Amino acid sequence: MNFRKISIACSFATFGLYAALILSLFYFFQGEKLLDTLLSERTLFSVRLSLAAATISTVFSIVIALPAAFALSRYEFRGKRAVDTMLELPMIVSPAALGAMLLIFFNNPLGLWIQDHGAQFVFTFYGIVLAQFVTICGVSTRLIKAAMDEIPPRYEAVARTLGASPAKAFLTITLPLSKRGIIAASILSWAKALGEFGATITIAGSMAMKTETLPIAIFMRLSSAEIEGTVVLILILVSIGLSILYAVRFLSRGNSYA
Amino acid sequence: MLEVIDLSSKVGTFVLSNVSLTIFPSSCHVILGPTGSGKTLLLEAIIGLRMPQKGKVILEDNEITFLPIEQRGLSYVPQDLALFPHMTVKENILYPLRVRGKRQNIENGIVQELVNSLGIRHLLDRSVKNLSGGERQRTALARALASGCKYLVLDEPLSALHESLKKELWYLLKDLQRRYDLSILMVTHDLEEAFFLGDRMTIVLDGKVRQQGTKDQVYKHPASFDVAEFLGIRNLFSVQTEKVTDDAPSVYCRGLRTTLKLSETALESKLIKTSSFFIGVRSEDVAILLPGELKAHTNNIVTGAVRDTFENGPFLMLIVTNPDCSLSVEAAIPRITAKKLRLSKGSSISLLLPEESLFLIAP
Repeated sequence: MNFRKISIACSFATFGLYAALILSLFYFFQGEKLLDTLLSERTLFSVRLSLAAATISTVFSIVIALPAAFALSRYEFRGKRAVDTMLELPMIVSPAALGAMLLIFFNNPLGLWIQDHGAQFVFTFYGIVLAQFVTICGVSTRLIKAAMDEIPPRYEAVARTLGASPAKAFLTITLPLSKRGIIAASILSWAKALGEFGATITIAGSMAMKTETLPIAIFMRLSSAEIEGTVVLILILVSIGLSILYAVRFLSRGNSYA
Repeated sequence: MLEVIDLSSKVGTFVLSNVSLTIFPSSCHVILGPTGSGKTLLLEAIIGLRMPQKGKVILEDNEITFLPIEQRGLSYVPQDLALFPHMTVKENILYPLRVRGKRQNIENGIVQELVNSLGIRHLLDRSVKNLSGGERQRTALARALASGCKYLVLDEPLSALHESLKKELWYLLKDLQRRYDLSILMVTHDLEEAFFLGDRMTIVLDGKVRQQGTKDQVYKHPASFDVAEFLGIRNLFSVQTEKVTDDAPSVYCRGLRTTLKLSETALESKLIKTSSFFIGVRSEDVAILLPGELKAHTNNIVTGAVRDTFENGPFLMLIVTNPDCSLSVEAAIPRITAKKLRLSKGSSISLLLPEESLFLIAP
């Protein structure tokens, strides 16, 4: 067997592993349970809560990530390396630890003051959004920076010699050229927020019909040995996730201007 | 007038030091130098892409050294042209009007004239990704000029083009310069391009200005051995002053074992008063003496044999060496003349190094 065949076999083995996991769900799949679970008020609440929280946290993270990524991609400044390294924090610290850090923060004097004078985060919807935002903000910034790194800074330089201010050069050149990368980053961040579990359950808890996102609903149904319902919820999550990843692949085609 | 005064800039360990130059209105000033000499760094400091460590940039009596790029009034065309890939040709050309909040209409005054004179009307709705090299070049020029800027800064914009297209664009640039009264600052490492387009030139080697002047001055009197070598002059000989009289200074070249009489203008050089220096002569200025012409000359003659020949376009390059000499002389003669004289390897030949073509170079 030559190297080409071995590498292709490995790629199919990886595919097979995940496909087998998905297919194994159908062992416990009951057609009649599908509609019941799907249309139950509790499931619909979980879907709505997950979609709303993931969308809001993604919007916040992209709003912060866009200028941050541009700064990291284009400017040299003191502390740049520290900022760049910190973006990886959500990837190296487990989600549960990230959630625990948030919980500990809100028990510090500053956190308590924020809770007293601003919004309540512990065991609330805001907590879910915050947990997801903390998890995805670094990733969004990293992905958008990668898209902006692909665009030669010379385009912006020429735009400025033609009369564009730095903000106009960003809006008319950098932003449209990195559009696909930004959309892809948003979708991936949204998908990651949708599947976020560890940080969310640590700060927002697992309260049915209150902080029960889709991943928490899966955990709760599994805890109560409700396998058929768990399977349906997993299939919903997998369907949303896979369609989103396919969309990302589609949007990322031919995004090179270098 | 655009003036650069004592400008220094640094990138990594490379330093561009103390550059001063003046771009006169309606003229083309060429910065000439090999790759890595600091030409692009100098341009970037002038247009504001890089802050200089010291020095000033002055445009029409206003200091612009620390002004934001967009307020400098200098249009820039980089080496890769940087046409915006997400826009059509028309959108690229109208970009300077768009960002300045002006009416964007291709049929407006200067834009319409540019589109017609550059011959790109039929390309307006095309994506810039689908343009040929020459079309991209014309679009980049149209975009730079649509801003209405009178100062155009070009960073080797023709380097990627093939010879015939490059020459076509030389004429186009000359035409645009006259038509729109442009002042051009251009960087190149192409000697032919520099001497065709430039009115004045600055030669930059290793981050330092080595010579500045009109193209005639640079062509006829390279300022140093390095500059002469960079300009491709291979006939550079070490000489000692032999006799300095009011009308006919002469020097002795030990390597060629001959006395070289210099023209009166050599007296203007301080070098003639020193004991030793270099003499240079361009290969195209070296003449072949026919047997009948030898009697008329007593100096400036090198007699030897053709050691090697190389074809170079319309010229045949002869490398002539006298068996007793340690140096060779390179002569470029029209191929048709070489054919008539039946010159080939081993042929005996006498060369004249005309006194008016000899220039003095500091050691």
